[in-house]
Amino acid sequence: MSDAALAFDDLAARLKPECERIVAQYEYPRSALLPLMHLFQQHEGYVSRDAMRFAAGMLGVTPAVVESTVSFYTLFYRRPVGKYMLQVCRGLSCSLGNAGDIMAYFREKLGIGHLQTTPDGVFSYEEVECLAACDRAACMQVNLEFVYDLTPAMVDEMLASMRAGTYAVAPMVQTQAPPPTWSVRPDGEVSTGRKAPGATGVQSPDNAGGVGDAAGLIMLDRIVNRDVAFYEGTRERAVRDSRAVAEVVASEGDRAGH
Amino acid sequence: MPVTKVLTAGIGEANLRDIDVYRSRGGYAQWQRAVRDLQPADVLAAAEKSGLRGRGGAGFPTGRKWSFLPADKALRYLVCNCDEAEPGTFKDHMLIEEAPHLVLEGILLGSYGIACHHAFIYIRGEFKRGYEIFSAALEQARAAGLVGKNVLGSGFDIEVTPHRGAGAYICGEETGLLNSLEGKRGEPRLKPPFPAIAGLYGAPTVVNNVESLAYLVPILERGPEWFAAAGTERSKGYKIVSISGHVQKPGNYEIALGTTSRELIEIAGGLRPGRTLMAVQPGGGSSACIFEEHLDWPYDYESLAKAGSMLGSGAFVVFDDTTDFVKCAHNMIRFFAHESCGQCTPCREGGHWIEAVLERLVASKGVEGDYEMLLRVAGGITGLNLCALGDSIEPFLKSVLLRFPEQFKARVMKAAAHV
Repeated sequence: MSDAALAFDDLAARLKPECERIVAQYEYPRSALLPLMHLFQQHEGYVSRDAMRFAAGMLGVTPAVVESTVSFYTLFYRRPVGKYMLQVCRGLSCSLGNAGDIMAYFREKLGIGHLQTTPDGVFSYEEVECLAACDRAACMQVNLEFVYDLTPAMVDEMLASMRAGTYAVAPMVQTQAPPPTWSVRPDGEVSTGRKAPGATGVQSPDNAGGVGDAAGLIMLDRIVNRDVAFYEGTRERAVRDSRAVAEVVASEGDRAGH
Repeated sequence: MPVTKVLTAGIGEANLRDIDVYRSRGGYAQWQRAVRDLQPADVLAAAEKSGLRGRGGAGFPTGRKWSFLPADKALRYLVCNCDEAEPGTFKDHMLIEEAPHLVLEGILLGSYGIACHHAFIYIRGEFKRGYEIFSAALEQARAAGLVGKNVLGSGFDIEVTPHRGAGAYICGEETGLLNSLEGKRGEPRLKPPFPAIAGLYGAPTVVNNVESLAYLVPILERGPEWFAAAGTERSKGYKIVSISGHVQKPGNYEIALGTTSRELIEIAGGLRPGRTLMAVQPGGGSSACIFEEHLDWPYDYESLAKAGSMLGSGAFVVFDDTTDFVKCAHNMIRFFAHESCGQCTPCREGGHWIEAVLERLVASKGVEGDYEMLLRVAGGITGLNLCALGDSIEPFLKSVLLRFPEQFKARVMKAAAHV
């Protein structure tokens, strides 16, 4: 066995009681999947394949099911990252403030961009969606601790103290040297495994609206044709939309010469 | 100024994370009263009578939502939705960090109201601090005998489990949330069945927002009539509005519904000197903008719907005359494109392509027909998706496209530039 494998077995043995306590909180073990992954990421700095395999064994699902689930969530890193995960809010309210300037400043000072890690392995940088702190723009999280009302001077001070190891927020555990990015997407754009645009072969924005889209039609059919209790307005809207869809589908059929 | 501190009372003044401080201000008195003196039906009746509507976005009457639970099924769950990620909303962030016991008491009262014995609170992954604060509050309450088996000798058992998400806006959608809580990808489910019929683990489930549940505490304390007396005829009671953007004092302000949008801007310190208003996005990233002519309308569910928008989560974002709406539209659409779970083609592809077109407009490299295409594609997404995320792509974009066409058309390259 390799050193890494031995190290993981040791960690897993150590965390086992905590894992069991977590699983016991739920009526169904699989609910513990996210909490277990948070726990392992806290101890390994990222969600390793070993951790996913371990969780699969504990929860009675396959490793593929675990990875598929983990890949959905942006806060799980499936590759090692820097000691300080710097996540700056790029949301609309922050952008109405000084977030644009702050993000440019971070990129300049770090010499890296979105979803990248510095070669020394100290910093990872990501521009994230609204962090729910819009009254204190620009804002960010450092290893998930909030920092508010950012200024360039604060950025300078923060980066210097992180390099010196004196920053108030503890560095993340680093079990391996991180690669230049933790994104697993080939285009390097998005860190998640949500279904990618373009996957179904839509080639232009003109048919991106997708009348005739299978999921939409199945849903409309079920809403319209089933006699069930509805929240206010849902049925009316569904009936209206299904008529509109039927009309468009019919007119497209005409054009295609059917 | 018409700010009324109900849920926000004491925040910033007292350490409400401490159970003794919370109790000294009357905290947990309603929970004690409920388990000792009230029946679950009394709590349900109070919720219905108060007129409280869901504060998370949809505005569905809270009591009515509970009443959908099938009476013949005893196993049921309450899930408190603290996956606050609607752009511009930051009220639940404040409540969970600054008033965790109030949130917990609301969950306990809600659980009692629907007679369930296991409640969950799904806390956004980014709110790690909020999760720790809430967990600590829960332990204090457990030690005081307020949570667990046989609460205060009443015979009522209630367990509360805090659960952290891991970064996905879509998990704020109630069925996406339930899937995530079951350890799955946070993809929304086909509805019906609605969660009240088949929710968590297939059992009847109520999903309520943090703020909605927290209001149960003052509603029981002061009576549903007191709550219903505030607000407007169909939008009763109080609401925390998260005001941000181009105002001088952004923040969370608690108001009676029906306060005007103009008053809200004034409450938040008004615009910066010398600036004029261009638009307000009154209900989060999913809502259409309202404009100057709507400012004296009441801020309530009906008036905003009449103005072509919605109250949503109560995120009130103000835009002054320095705003570049092409950039704003790109920012908003990039959010929805990024957060689409990808199940439904219209949402996954539509958001992506609109983002691509807006990206070239931001770079002033638009091509002839882009403006019309944006309107057409955005209109082709609404109503064709499993959940509301897809339907949220169109409103803001369409409202600013129609209001500020010149800003978009000016970013189209002149014909000569093609050559």
